[in-house]
Amino acid sequence: MVAAAPPRARIGVILLHSLPALLLVCLALAGPWLAPHSVTDPVTAPFAEPGAGAPLGGDQLGRDVWSRLLAGGGQLVLSALLIAVVVTGAAAVLGAVAALRPKVGKVVERVADVLILLPAVLGIMLVALSWPEGGRFAVVLAAVVLGVPYAVRLAANAAAPVAGAGYVESAAAGGERLWVLVVREILPNLRATLLALFGLRFVEAVYVVSTAGFLQVGPQPPAADWALMIRENSPGLLLNPWAVVAPSAVIGLLALSVNLAAGALAPQTGRKAVTVR
Amino acid sequence: MAGELTSMTTAPAGPDPTAERGRSARHAVPAVLRRVGVVLVNRTALLFTLLALVFIGVELLPGDAAHATSERGESAADLAQRRALLGLDKPVLERFWDWMSGLPTGNLGTSAHGERVTDLISTAFPNTLLLGATALLLTAVLSLALGSWAALRPGRRLDRTVTAASTAVFAVPEFVVAVALVLVLALWTGWLPAVTLTGADGTPSSWTMLVLPVLALTVPQTGWNTRIVRAALADEARAPHVETAVLDGLSPLRVLTRHVLPGAMPTIATGLATSSGVLLGGAVVVETIFNYPGVGAVLASAVADRDTPVIAGVTALAGAVISCVLLLADLTRDAVTGERR
Repeated sequence: MVAAAPPRARIGVILLHSLPALLLVCLALAGPWLAPHSVTDPVTAPFAEPGAGAPLGGDQLGRDVWSRLLAGGGQLVLSALLIAVVVTGAAAVLGAVAALRPKVGKVVERVADVLILLPAVLGIMLVALSWPEGGRFAVVLAAVVLGVPYAVRLAANAAAPVAGAGYVESAAAGGERLWVLVVREILPNLRATLLALFGLRFVEAVYVVSTAGFLQVGPQPPAADWALMIRENSPGLLLNPWAVVAPSAVIGLLALSVNLAAGALAPQTGRKAVTVR
Repeated sequence: MAGELTSMTTAPAGPDPTAERGRSARHAVPAVLRRVGVVLVNRTALLFTLLALVFIGVELLPGDAAHATSERGESAADLAQRRALLGLDKPVLERFWDWMSGLPTGNLGTSAHGERVTDLISTAFPNTLLLGATALLLTAVLSLALGSWAALRPGRRLDRTVTAASTAVFAVPEFVVAVALVLVLALWTGWLPAVTLTGADGTPSSWTMLVLPVLALTVPQTGWNTRIVRAALADEARAPHVETAVLDGLSPLRVLTRHVLPGAMPTIATGLATSSGVLLGGAVVVETIFNYPGVGAVLASAVADRDTPVIAGVTALAGAVISCVLLLADLTRDAVTGERR
């Protein structure tokens, strides 16, 4: 089950599909240094229409929407990246262990069955409120705890055929320790799966972090944050729609572009036909 | 959405089907009852595990309700008095027992301000359930229709369009969808109200106020479930009995509705049941935008007040509702696999 190296054409497709996501992420990370105005000082009237000096108008306190838009994505993207990296890493190791030790796999299954009953929004609220000093880390912690069990399922499913391969069995019979088997024999063969998993977890993390931000869990005013901007400025939707539409559009675009990249990264299986004719 | 990415791999609850084989029809009723019993016990055990996890999580993290709601300049004696009022001074095991026995007896705990959580959400939670259930129903209808429609034209442009579109929309957060809907349907065209007005009894005063919140919840979930329906139909279409039906010359639509859909139903039902949790969580968010009188408003003030017990109570109730929907999916799976024997 060792995946062959993808042909050059496929790498081109992956790069093309990942380009929008990469651009957006870089823009979000560099944004705070590009903002022309301070994100906390009023420069226009509240909910002023777009005009000179403020291309997207003002928000509910008259702060420059354009500057806040540039500055408001870095934290969100960083949190989402951190969640995706931690969840993918933990899932890779646990999934490989679960494939080698069925008992561990059973425990993970049960935990995932329990966590299905907990909507992510409520879980994050619980953690963030019980740990007031946590701030953004509370959100990250909650998202990781909620995300790992499902990711382990995926990784374990991908690791199962590898764990059953002859060379792994012979290494295990030769008395190799568990962690050597995981790190040397199994994980190198899961590269494609883990990359796709990372993409999916990043999509998931953007959803969770932005939803939490919208519910005022995590980023606090007066910080610039895309999700929080939507929440704060929705009363002025009729006066300056851009204060709400612009951050909504970037969150939507980020979700769509990362999803596109994740789809391109997924190991290609043949399309299934439905033969009902 | 958290569980959705892999929800399809859940092991079916219930006993081993091979053990049921070879029984005469006389024993069919007890066998069904026993299988239903096993599924029921399974789901109840999972729900109580969730309750225990919530309690332990809140217990282990540093803040507590009396501390979170303390005023500045409050003396230690006042704080101790409020702790006693909220029952926080009882031993951990006793509080754990109170919390665990609360859900079956309809007691979801006491808020940080000393009110019963049940009273706080008794009018709001049914409104949220109405919103979530309507969205779940609409999601089921739309995803079945779209998935089947694409499956009848495999590999053609329509199939590819439906697949691409459903993949694209499921990643977009509900509140972004809601903003887009408000812009188009409420502000530019003026067809629908952008906010909910409540009548005297605390429910939305007109059904049109449900349309936008329900749509905002339905769009991403329909995207997700359409993909599941499409894949489940493709898997089932390879079954021998379907090929026989095709060779008998039945029309494609008849083959799909009579022979493919029933076998694909367990997978589809599990997918929809998993969506119920996301819809409940999403409802909380969407309610805030449309000013809908649901549990979202209660949670928002609980977040502002740092009122952990309220959120824990709502979590317990949400877990119970999601358990019931998953139980229905288990029973659907059971009915289909039971019939096949």
